[in-house]
Amino acid sequence: MSAAGYAARCGARRGRIEFMNSVRAGQDMAYYVITSLVLLLVLYLNRDDTVPGTDVSVAAFMLPGVLALLVVVAGAFGVATVLATEREDGTLLRLKSVPYGVVGYVAGQLVRVCLEIAFSMLIVLIPAAFFVPNLMSDGFLAALGAVGYLVLGLLAVLPLGFIIGSIFKNPRSVGGWGMLVITGIVFVSGIFTPLATMATWVQILGQLTPTYWLGLGLRSTLLPEAAVAVEIDGSWRTGLTIAVLAAWAVVGLLLAPRLLRRMARRESGSGVAARREKAMQRV
Amino acid sequence: MSSSIPDVFTLKEPIDAPDVAVRVTDLRMRYGSNDVLHGVNFTIRRGEVLVLLGPNGAGKTTTIEILEGFRVPSAGEITVLGENPATAGEEWRSRIGVVLQSWRDHGRWRVWDLLEHLGSFYRPYATADRPRPYPTDELIDTVGLTEHRRKKVSALSGGQRRRLDVAIGIVGRPELLFLDEPTAGFDPAARRDFHELVHRLSDLQDTTILLTTHDLDEAEKLADRILIMNHGRIVADGSADQLARAVAGSAEVRWTQDGSRQVHATADPTEFVRELFAQERVRGDIGSRITDLEVQRPSLESTYMTMVTR
Repeated sequence: MSAAGYAARCGARRGRIEFMNSVRAGQDMAYYVITSLVLLLVLYLNRDDTVPGTDVSVAAFMLPGVLALLVVVAGAFGVATVLATEREDGTLLRLKSVPYGVVGYVAGQLVRVCLEIAFSMLIVLIPAAFFVPNLMSDGFLAALGAVGYLVLGLLAVLPLGFIIGSIFKNPRSVGGWGMLVITGIVFVSGIFTPLATMATWVQILGQLTPTYWLGLGLRSTLLPEAAVAVEIDGSWRTGLTIAVLAAWAVVGLLLAPRLLRRMARRESGSGVAARREKAMQRV
Repeated sequence: MSSSIPDVFTLKEPIDAPDVAVRVTDLRMRYGSNDVLHGVNFTIRRGEVLVLLGPNGAGKTTTIEILEGFRVPSAGEITVLGENPATAGEEWRSRIGVVLQSWRDHGRWRVWDLLEHLGSFYRPYATADRPRPYPTDELIDTVGLTEHRRKKVSALSGGQRRRLDVAIGIVGRPELLFLDEPTAGFDPAARRDFHELVHRLSDLQDTTILLTTHDLDEAEKLADRILIMNHGRIVADGSADQLARAVAGSAEVRWTQDGSRQVHATADPTEFVRELFAQERVRGDIGSRITDLEVQRPSLESTYMTMVTR
């Protein structure tokens, strides 16, 4: 195995350790549990309603969008925040000081975020299975399709996380702007209300986000065929969904390594010290 | 190098002289219009412990970051273990150790996990005479953290944290180790332990060490050679003893004669005292006997103060 490949394997172990550290940390666990409870409560309150004009339960309609949201929030916002934080606290520089450490760092981030997403999905999906009707009524093949869309969705948003985290120097600005952007995304990407029923400008904005397309793809695999009636054009637009998500992935995968390399090259001890100094003045 | 300008340093000695670990020639660094390093020159021999001493803002950290490959200089020729740090690859990186100034990184990791993890990156670079990485338990014992090995990094005290930083720096059994103000914030016991560790590394592992500090006492204890740096220039280069001698070449001779205290500065106190007694004998006068004779070499501290306030 090449030394870089070996470092990637060290990084994969790093990701598992970081995930376990996070599960053990009360603060992170509280975040997972509260997020999952809020989402479950929204689903539960909507369990008996149906989407107007169909017999599809509102809770069933929402669930795929919720999964899409979890992927986007953890994959883009989560990775960006962690990257900006770990540049500031010296973690990245520490890795830079060992051979192929940055390769290991990126591999670690990928493994950590995948484990995190899987975990946060499971703690929503398992309780939801008890009260959301028609969930997974199409069996194994549908589940496989859903996993396919999740992988494509991850490829679309993970590079975004690295790009944002490489551009912003300061985790607090990622956090502040990030919350604003996420609130906007929740509103425009048709997670809780079908996008087709919303204003045209919302539809246009929504279709610019990977969240909408990932949600659409997941609905196409997880919901009964009749649910297609509430989608834009009354179609799942499967080809377009895959094309848009793939385009996000390609652009991201082209840009992210370059930005990441440039950012990593510029990390130095005095740079980290200067940023820490600034962060302490702000407090 | 494609440069057509003859380089006096490369002409004197081949660049890859096997006993040279670091060679710095005319190193310059400029941030905007602000010159931080103005033509720094020095070499470090293999196995040597070199201390870079100087006040804050002298350019020590910038110099060490350039040698670590974390910063690209504005000009100058730098060779570290036979390569230019700005372009050297990961194989080169595996041969050097970096002890960074202490931060809050990896606070959630356990001491043992972190050391084992960072060490694992060195495994592909193991050789017969340098097994890499250092076994985790042994290293934790070496830096005296055995009873804290299951602790979270964030739960360590400042001194324990610093010992972990040193352990991380040497986990790959480096041939060359950079330490940037390693003992800042140490209590005297931790400082003494750390000094022992540096001696052990230098003696047993044949590790070349470059250390920055503004602690004179530390420089005197650890250094084979001291470079004093001020305003981006090397203002002195030598052992603690040589440096002291170099300042105005002087020692002070004090004595009492004829009831009055005399002071004389001289480059050669032995010869001066010989003369002094010869004169005393010539006069033969009991009343003018020399008493309370003292010869004082300037301390490193007075040398240092002279150098940096020049």
